[in-house]
Amino acid sequence: MKGKSRARDAPGLKGAAAEPRGTQGELGASESPGSAGHSSRHRVLARISRAVARREKRAHPGQLQTPQPPDPVVGFARRFSDSGGRVVTANRERHRGEWLTTFMKGLNLGATVGVAVGTDVPPEMRPNMPEAPPDRAAAGVVLAWGAIAETGSLILEPGGGRAVQLLPPVLFIWVPVGRILGRMEDALLELQTRLPATVALHSGPSKSADIGRTVVTGVHGPGRCIAVLDRTPSSLTPLRALSVRTEAYQHR
Amino acid sequence: MNVAFFVTCLADHYFAEAAADAVRLLRHLGCEVTFPANQTCCGQPAHNAGRGREAVRMAHHTLGVFRNADAVVLPSGSCAAMVRKTYPGIAGERIAEADALAAKVFELGEFIVRRLGVTRLGSGLTGRRVAIHQGCHALRELRLEAEPDTLLGGAGAEVVPWEAREECCGFGGLFSVKMPEVSTAMADRKLDTLPDVDWVVSGDGGCLLQLEGRSRARGQEVEFLHLATALWRGVADGPRDGSGWQRPEGHRHAG
Amino acid sequence: MRIRSNEYRKRSREIIRGDPAVREAVTGATLAFDRNRKQAYEEVDADAWRRWAEGVKNHVLTHLDDYLAEAEAKLEANGARVHWAADAQEAREIVTTLAEKASVKSIVKGKSMLTEEIGLNSALESVGIRVCETDLGEYILQLLDEPPSHILGPAIHKSLGEVRRLFADRLGTSSEDSPNALAHAARRELRDAFVDADMGISGANFVVAETGTVVLIENEGNIRLATSLPRVHVALAGIEKLLPRMSDVAGFLQLTARAGTGQPTGCFVSLIQGPAAQPGDDGPEEVHVVFVDNGRTAVLEHEHAWEALRCVRCGACLNVCPVYRQTGGHAYGWVYSGPIGSVLDPGLLGLREAMPLPFASTLCGACTDACPVRIPIPELLLRWRQEAQEQGLAPKAEGLALAALAGVASRPALYRLAGSVASRLGATGAGRALPVLREWSGDRAAPQPSRPTFRRLWRDGIE
Repeated sequence: MKGKSRARDAPGLKGAAAEPRGTQGELGASESPGSAGHSSRHRVLARISRAVARREKRAHPGQLQTPQPPDPVVGFARRFSDSGGRVVTANRERHRGEWLTTFMKGLNLGATVGVAVGTDVPPEMRPNMPEAPPDRAAAGVVLAWGAIAETGSLILEPGGGRAVQLLPPVLFIWVPVGRILGRMEDALLELQTRLPATVALHSGPSKSADIGRTVVTGVHGPGRCIAVLDRTPSSLTPLRALSVRTEAYQHR
Repeated sequence: MNVAFFVTCLADHYFAEAAADAVRLLRHLGCEVTFPANQTCCGQPAHNAGRGREAVRMAHHTLGVFRNADAVVLPSGSCAAMVRKTYPGIAGERIAEADALAAKVFELGEFIVRRLGVTRLGSGLTGRRVAIHQGCHALRELRLEAEPDTLLGGAGAEVVPWEAREECCGFGGLFSVKMPEVSTAMADRKLDTLPDVDWVVSGDGGCLLQLEGRSRARGQEVEFLHLATALWRGVADGPRDGSGWQRPEGHRHAG
Repeated sequence: MRIRSNEYRKRSREIIRGDPAVREAVTGATLAFDRNRKQAYEEVDADAWRRWAEGVKNHVLTHLDDYLAEAEAKLEANGARVHWAADAQEAREIVTTLAEKASVKSIVKGKSMLTEEIGLNSALESVGIRVCETDLGEYILQLLDEPPSHILGPAIHKSLGEVRRLFADRLGTSSEDSPNALAHAARRELRDAFVDADMGISGANFVVAETGTVVLIENEGNIRLATSLPRVHVALAGIEKLLPRMSDVAGFLQLTARAGTGQPTGCFVSLIQGPAAQPGDDGPEEVHVVFVDNGRTAVLEHEHAWEALRCVRCGACLNVCPVYRQTGGHAYGWVYSGPIGSVLDPGLLGLREAMPLPFASTLCGACTDACPVRIPIPELLLRWRQEAQEQGLAPKAEGLALAALAGVASRPALYRLAGSVASRLGATGAGRALPVLREWSGDRAAPQPSRPTFRRLWRDGIE
């Protein structure tokens, strides 16, 4: 029908001549709780292999060349704002925690309830406000591992706690400007070298248009997202390693 | 240029005058028009119903009918798409013939604009407000997006934007019978959004039957015209500047 | 989910005639989605992106056994457990057993068409587990005990007024409340469910073989919550959801979001490799991935229909489809509706069960132009129609009429004779050459045949 040419596969991808792996028994030995689990694995894979064997192999088309945004910081700020987020820049001259405290107080968030702060936010970036657990806090403060201009996304890893990224109605996210990348693919390739248990990409506040086609924010996740650009010199270098699984954990 | 006219079943039986207008237009543009008498149906109804064998029989017959034509013109985007886009896939061992026919088959407006290079036909439509409904196969298989605007606008008509212009009218041949409520609701969506116009113009008779049939049942007053008729009126009516009816100015283009 | 596709004609008629608000709500919502999609496609080189995505999916589908094995190995190495379900019943059993083993009392779910497909909720409820849909649209439908009507906007067929009445009745909101107030009432209800739940269930938009990553796209944040707060996360993935490598995710995330809602990406994207890193970290202690076949291998084996497995469930074909817009998804009688449902359901369910869905289309082709993975939907519809004819599943009379037409149409003299007889008999008779038009009812004025026909005009000479 189409693509009759048998182009050479990109490196690392399944080659046209690759034999189906037949002996995954020990690898996939996770006996399913359903009694027929293992035989189903075999049956499903065998049936797929038969179907696949009859069809001409298609090569992977390689990378999708999306354009590099000219200025990642500007690009990120525009996209993130377009999807309902807000972008502010912390005053470089001041202590970042103090700056954030003043800024948050100016927003009148009902801060008497307290704020939840990600455990990986360094002391100099924490607001000077009473702390509260994520499910009761008026606001959350977390630190992004990086950001993506192309899609206006913040890259959040789980090290500082997932609940604080999701439960407070207002979320402040520190974004080191040196970690704002242009393209999503480049960000994922960088992440891929040491992936934590989960990575979340947040691109603006929680939204839904399920009721009467009217967009409402804050349906489940934060209703207001404020990306705080950190332009201090330390923000220009990679912050820290991602919190990856330990060897011991992997083999438990 | 010699043009073999492929009238199509629907135009033969329901749009005979429009088909005649298409012939008049082609002659006006300097074409020598022939009408191979042994032509029948392009086979699309059978193809769309899943009757592959029957469709192939009709396709093979049609390949023979137009084998020696220089160009084949149809007053239907849908049937033209069948010949150009579908025949090569179903012709079997007669693929070479199908490819040859596909290369020389045209929908009427397409032929005038793309093959003859004519964009201005008379000016008799000055003051006319028209809405264009492009049949889906003309639009998405033949990619005839601007041709009707070019020709109708070129003849002086004001082409009025129509929100649902590119949406299907709900005809779909057998679909209009098998799923009558859905089909009618689709026509309603078109008619509900129809702007205030004198004419609705389409290059496909099926769409016109559907839209006009529904519009008459609803009591909506608007005239539905085949593209061939609208364009011929533009030529034959001459400028509407008070000078009255004019004969066509003769052959503007030798093809 | 009970299959009611055979009732398409009856149900579409009932919806159009009996519940006009559905048509209005669905048309409004899909037109808005589609406008956004068009604009989002224009901002990028959409044709190149779509060709690329088609290529990646074709590559995956022709190496699917390898990629599934690789994904399984990587997920297991990440600490997730992988299960295989050949059919719906087995998938239900796997999840139910997992829930019982972990003493689960309460489950929160993210929107997943696959769990609808296998009827998971009722299976879990039958063993006494509370299941709470957390996507706002799905939540509305769970309160109403209705199936979703659209892949992306499950409740798009519901008007604001209907939701107001429902929430006033069930959540005690005011009948004048704004969408914002209604959404926040649901947020309060669901927040408790998230905190109480022992298990979160999600689907999977993609599974990356190279890294063993489950990718989930959403806008509300409910999937992030459902996969973060409870101690067990179960992701159900159709076997066709694989992507070779992490870098492919970038293109697919952006293209899927642009196709579905016109966004550059979903507001929340989760990339899940496995359970929480350390005991004591928040995040699930157990992550399970269930690969579900349930008819997909049959589609993969099919000479033509396998191309439908490229589908990323963005809903773009539904949004652009003028047929779907008149009724919404319920008329189609199963979980996958609209153009993609009409080509996928015959493969997943068997053609007999899915009749007459391949015929529920005018073949207008708008779907193919919108599809981010370029599934040739009209072509596949025609293939299914052909199979329906071959298997005698299409109405006999119609087949005979078309066969007769073919017989006549390949004999010019007979064709001319039939035509001229028909034209002399007037409107009804003319239908004999064009069997379609004879059956139009009073909703459309009968077409007026030309007298004389073109053939006659030509013979007499056209001035």
